[in-house]
Order: sequence, then C-alpha cells, then structure tokens
Amino acid sequence: MQKHRITAIVCFAGALVASALAGASFLSMRKPDLIVRGPGVTEKKMLSEWFSGLKGTAGDTEVYVMRGSDDGASMLILGGTHPNEPAGHLAAILFIENVVPRTGTLYVIPRANASGFTANDPQEGAPQRFTIQTPNGPRVFSYGSRATNPIHQWPDPNVYIHASSGQTLSGSETRNLNRGYPGRPDGTLTEKVCYGIVQLIRQQKVTITVDLHEASPEYPVINAIVAHPKAMQLASDTVLGLEMQDIKISLEPSPVNLRGLSHRELGDFTDTLPVLMETANASQGRLRGRTDEALVLTGKDKWYVRAAKLGRLYVPYDEHGHPLEERVGRHVTAISELMNSWNLEHPEMPLEVEGVPDYEGLLTKGVGAYLLPPK
Amino acid sequence: MFYVYLVILAVVLALTVWVLFDTKKLSLQITAAMVIVPLLLRLLMIK
Amino acid sequence: MSQEFWLFVLMIGVFAAGCFALKWPVSVSMLLAATAGALAGGVQDPVRHLVEGTFGYVDTILTIATAMMFMTGFRDSGALEALTAAVIKKFHKWPGVLMVLLTFVIMVPGMITGSSTASVLTAGAVVAPMFASMGISTVDAGALISIAAILGMIAPPVNIPAMIIGGGIDMPYVGFELPLVLLTFPLAVVFALWFGWRKVRHMDRTKVLASLDFSTLSRYGGWRLFSPIILIFVLMVLDKVVPRVFGLGMPLIFIIGTVSTWVTGKRFNIVQSAKKSIEDVLPVLGILVGVGMFIQIMTATGVRGFIVVNALSVPPALLYAMIAISIPLFGAISAFGSASVLGVPFMLALLGRDQIIAAAALSLIAAIGDFMPPTALAAIFAAKVVGLEKYGTVLKKLVIPTLIIIVYAILFIVFSKQIRAVL
Repeated sequence: MQKHRITAIVCFAGALVASALAGASFLSMRKPDLIVRGPGVTEKKMLSEWFSGLKGTAGDTEVYVMRGSDDGASMLILGGTHPNEPAGHLAAILFIENVVPRTGTLYVIPRANASGFTANDPQEGAPQRFTIQTPNGPRVFSYGSRATNPIHQWPDPNVYIHASSGQTLSGSETRNLNRGYPGRPDGTLTEKVCYGIVQLIRQQKVTITVDLHEASPEYPVINAIVAHPKAMQLASDTVLGLEMQDIKISLEPSPVNLRGLSHRELGDFTDTLPVLMETANASQGRLRGRTDEALVLTGKDKWYVRAAKLGRLYVPYDEHGHPLEERVGRHVTAISELMNSWNLEHPEMPLEVEGVPDYEGLLTKGVGAYLLPPK
Repeated sequence: MFYVYLVILAVVLALTVWVLFDTKKLSLQITAAMVIVPLLLRLLMIK
Repeated sequence: MSQEFWLFVLMIGVFAAGCFALKWPVSVSMLLAATAGALAGGVQDPVRHLVEGTFGYVDTILTIATAMMFMTGFRDSGALEALTAAVIKKFHKWPGVLMVLLTFVIMVPGMITGSSTASVLTAGAVVAPMFASMGISTVDAGALISIAAILGMIAPPVNIPAMIIGGGIDMPYVGFELPLVLLTFPLAVVFALWFGWRKVRHMDRTKVLASLDFSTLSRYGGWRLFSPIILIFVLMVLDKVVPRVFGLGMPLIFIIGTVSTWVTGKRFNIVQSAKKSIEDVLPVLGILVGVGMFIQIMTATGVRGFIVVNALSVPPALLYAMIAISIPLFGAISAFGSASVLGVPFMLALLGRDQIIAAAALSLIAAIGDFMPPTALAAIFAAKVVGLEKYGTVLKKLVIPTLIIIVYAILFIVFSKQIRAVL
C-alpha cells in the first residue's frame, strides 16, 4: 500500500477514536437528573399536557403540581430556564422535595429548558455535572448550556428576530428560552416551550410566576428581583421583607424595550404577576479563572476577587466566593418572602406552604441536607 | 431546515473524507481528520 | 506569576514552536498547544473538552466551505472572468469612482450577512480580477479587499460583534445604523483611494481593454452568466428582509448558488470543483477547529479569565490603550470571541459613554481581529482570491490601515456623547 494511504487510514482512525471518546462523553448528558417526589407533590405532569405540540420533543419537561388542601392563590416556579445557572435549578428542586402547600397550588418546572441540560456551551469549558453530598450519599446534577441544544434546534439564523415585537438579537439567542416569550405554537422548539409555559399560566390562572436565574458577577442586574410593572408592589414588599432578614437585594423594573423576557412578556400576555430573580454565579462569567465543579459549588475565584478590588463587579466578592448554598438560599428565601408579601395583601386568597428550607439552615448545613434519599 | 442542513453537512463531510484519502500531504490529512470530528458528531446528532 | 500565566506561556510556546520552528500547519500547532495546556492544566476529560471547543465553529465551517464551493464554481463556469471584462469596459473612464464603487460592492455581502468571509469569497472574488486589470498589484488588491470585507461586516444592517456586545449587557440591537454608517463608509472611501488612486489614475485604458477576454461573455450573455451572483444577492437580501419565508441561511444560499453556476456558463465537473474547493479551504477550516480547542482549554484552565482581568486592571487613563491593543490581539483567535470575551467587560467599563456609539466602535475594533494571524480570516481569503500563496505580504500592507481604523474607533468612544449630540 502507498505510504499516503496508510497515513490517511491512521488519521481517519484517529478521527473516529476521538469522535467515539468525545461522543460517549456527550451522550452521557442525555440522562435526566434524579428528582425525588417530595411529600407535597400531588401530581407529576408534562408541559405537553398544556400544549400538545411539545409531546415527544426534547422540549417537553416535567411539571410538578403541589396542591394544598384548601383553595388559594397559585405560583409557578421556573428553574433551569438557563441550565448553566444551577442555583435556580436547585432552588426549584428544593421546593419539590421539601415544601408542602396548605392553601393554594404550586407548579414547579425544575428543567424549564430540558434540552439545554443535555449539552454544554462550546468554548465555555464548563463541567458536565456537579455532585452534592447528602446524608444519604452523593446526588449528581447536570450543568447544562445556556440555550437549547443545537441538535434539537439548528441552524441558528444570522439574526434572531423576536416574533411578536420584531426586535433583533444575535442569532444564537434564537435558542435562549428567556428571549422567546410569549412563544409561538408553530415556532422553533424554544418558542414552543415558551408557548407551553404561557398556556400553563393561562389555563391554570397562575397568580404569580417566578423565573429563577443567576448572572455573572460583572453583570449590572445581579442579586436582584426584576419585576413587571404590575408585580412591582409585590416585589417591593418582598425586597423590604428580605432586607429585614439582612438579605440585600435590589429591585429593577422590567425594561419596556427589551423583549422576549419572562418578566416582560408574561406580564403583558397573561394575567400572572411575573418576577425574575438573579444571584451571583462565577461559573458563567467572563472573568472567571479555572472552570470546574468546585467553582460551581463554591464560587471561589481569585480573578473575581481581583476584579472586585478593581471596582469592576456589581456584587461584593472576596475569598469566600458565593457558594451554591448561599445562592440557592437567596432564591428559596425570596420566594418564601414573595408568598408572605402576597398573603399580607390578599388574605382572602392566600398561598401558604410549609417546609421551606430556611436561609441560615442552608448556609450551615448545605443544600445536601434538604435533598431526599432516592426512593 | 434541520435536515437540509444535515445534508449540506454530510456533503462537506464526504468531500473532506475524500480529500483525506486523496491527498499526499500528511499535514492536510491531519487537518482533514481534525475537521471530520465535529462534522461527524453533528451528523450523528450526538453534539 | 500565577499558574495561568505559565500555562498561557506554555500554550503560546508550543504553538509558536510548532508553527515557526517545526513548520507544522497552524491547525496542528493549535491542536498540540491546546493539548499541552489541557494536560499541564489538569483538565478533566481532555478529549471531551478539545472536541467540544470545535463546535463553536461548526456553522462557520459550513458557511466557509459552501462559500468556497460557490466561488470555485463561479470561476470554473467562466463567469468571473467575463464579469471583470464587462465591468471594466463599462466604467473604465472614471477609475476613481470605480475604485470606490467596487470597494462598496465588496462590503455588501458582509453588510447583509455579518460575515467578512462571505464578503471576500463572493464580491471580493468577483472584484479581485477587476483590480488586477486596473493595474493594482495583487498585494494592494488583497489588502483593500480584506479591509472592505471587515468594514462590510461592521456596516449595517447586520453587525454580529455589536449584537454580541449588546447581548452581554442586555442592550437590544436598535439604533446602530447611523453610528455604524459613520464608522465604516468614510473609512471605505479613504482606503479605496489610498490603495487605488495612484495606480488607476495612470491606467492605460486601451491596453487594459485589449487584455480582456470577451469570448465567454459573448457566447452565454451577461444575464445568464452572472445570474448565480444575482441569485445569491437576492437570496441574501430576502433572508434579511423576509426571514420567516426565505430564511435559508448562508450555507444553503451558497449551495443553491453553486448548483446554479453549473447550468449558467461553461460546463465543468461540479463534483471535482467542489472537492477542489474543500481541498483549498481545508487549512482554514482546520485553523478554526484548532482555535476552538484552544479557546476551550484557555477557558477551562482559567487562562481566559487571567487575560480578561489583566486587561481590565489598567488605570482608567490607559483603558483606551488597552481596548486598542487587547481586543484586536484576542481577535487573533476569533473576532466574534473577542467581542464576547473582552468587548462585553470593556463595554461595562465604559458605561458612562453613549452606549450605542461605544458598542458600535468596539465592534469595529473587534472586527480587526479578522486581520490578526493565525486565524486572520479576512486576510487569508483575500490573499487566496487575488492569487497569492502566502498572506504575509497582505498583512504588512494592513498595518497602517489597521492603526487608522483603531484610532478612528477610539475617537468615536472618547467623543461618543458629542457625536450623539450631533446625530
């Protein structure tokens, strides 16, 4: 055989081996995380039950329904809108595994963009998963991509045009769930998921919707609640309540000219009161150093410490970082405070729950203390 | 559109494999092998 | 010095040793540099990371590969040569105007698609022989084509770096048109005359006309022969204007164009032509794949954070200097990557300025990354379309224009509020 044929075969075989090794690693992300049904869960449904167009697609996702014994208000909690923002995902899971409603109904979607959990963003160097130690052994959770997996929605257009407003963004935002609201039944997979969530809110007459996020420490809207104008009073009462607990949080009005986001469109297109919450996640930032599981869990990062000293950040940042339990704790406590504020103003239609993990408990015992053993 | 793009990708992949086996330059063979990996994994809808 | 510093030195060192001492191709040197970084940096699952990084460029690879197929088909059909003859014949009396117009023509595909590569490989390839006929040297023609291509990529309506920077600070891509026109078109006129005026002024028109070959043109006719380029242009415009109906995307548009070249001019073997185009473009595709690996490992090991935070560490007075130096340098790896990784933090550091004008100017500086080796997409392809084997001579010609572009963009940032006041 000619020499160049042999080298060609060797190179081709090398490509196949690299593809097989990497492919096996990529495929390992397809398995969904274990989420244990807690004592408050009355039903586990799929989003496709509200919008059948999602049935059998990678966008269909679990909706945990937690109905209290008495009627009252309802709340939708969205975790995992951006699967690379783990505090939102985990806060939703803590509600599913711990909380028991007395009056009213909770709807919890822990993996709002289910497709995004099956991949990582290229060139971000992110870990595929992280492990939380619990009294019953380790629990593993996916660290996904900010956007829908391209194998489920491809190719991206050059420019993303938001359907109902015509606003343009860079093409990759087409796969960003939080730029697609209110969604379209005949749109992209991401728009269909948005549409499904809107249908759930409309059909169940959801009173309050909370979209849980995290942000880079260099991003101005951080440790914040962003509220639609009609949810402003509720959100400002919540901020006061959190201040009383020494949790500093800012309140931002939903910008009118930034379209496709949950805090804007869910308020404009449905009767729900939408708010979005942000905590500080170093593992998604542009200034971060070594990117691995430890960074996701602890938020400790020397470059962010240095950037804070240079005045480049919008949150305090020191050697202690912002660990996952603090970020999850902020979300969980803020949701609980949101319910308190609602109940004070609307005693006739309360939303009362038990078993919400408390902030101090999360800080001292960690997230793992509130995760149930696999059944 | 998804499947149309998979076909386009398959064409580019096939041509790249052809070049790999046709060229006599080792450097081009290695380069072709590098390009094949992402194209193949996308074609198989793995990544 | 931090561990990240030494990792960065190692990665750059391996790359330089591979490229310059051992004369390996850029793609292979990048692969080895990324691998060395991954191993020395203790990255877990290194093969997964190396392969994952390449996926940042899958769409770009398809665009470049199909654009190259189209360009090769258009040339093999005889249309390229015929188009040169037709245009020169029509406009040879006004060489200065012709230079400026041709420069604008090169910009158009970039303006519509946001890709400098699309500009160089379509309009750039069409215009290159016209420049040659007008007496402009191949090196000057290559330099002008690459400048026009990056100006086209930044000129409105589509400017992807500006969208990326805007996306990072939640600023919608609205109101950018006028600042971008002011940033790009004056520069285009200046550089068109800079590279062309001395030569075309003394152009010997009779000699030029005599050297042109009109045989293909008279055999097939202009409309039929040039219809693929018209088709591509129409599809690009429709993709922009009515994306819901004609949102085909660049690779599909180029494939349609390639097939049309097969039936509109001289017959040629389309399969051989496509294979030849992949063979020609493979080194560039390999660079992209290698760069993807390199960025992924830089990010995973913290080298990226080291670079960004150090770039932001300068005192405020030196911030502009840092913008001028670091964004184009990082653009050596990827212009779009630079817009995201450095453009967004710098934009946040510039929050007191007029945001739209500052972001528009930063996007122009980021685009300079397409001149920076080893990726240097605009320069590499421009050298290809004018027929140069190596692009080093083109790069030398680009040094002064690059400095002018950067200074012009920085002035826009410094005086953003004053510019806003008059807009």
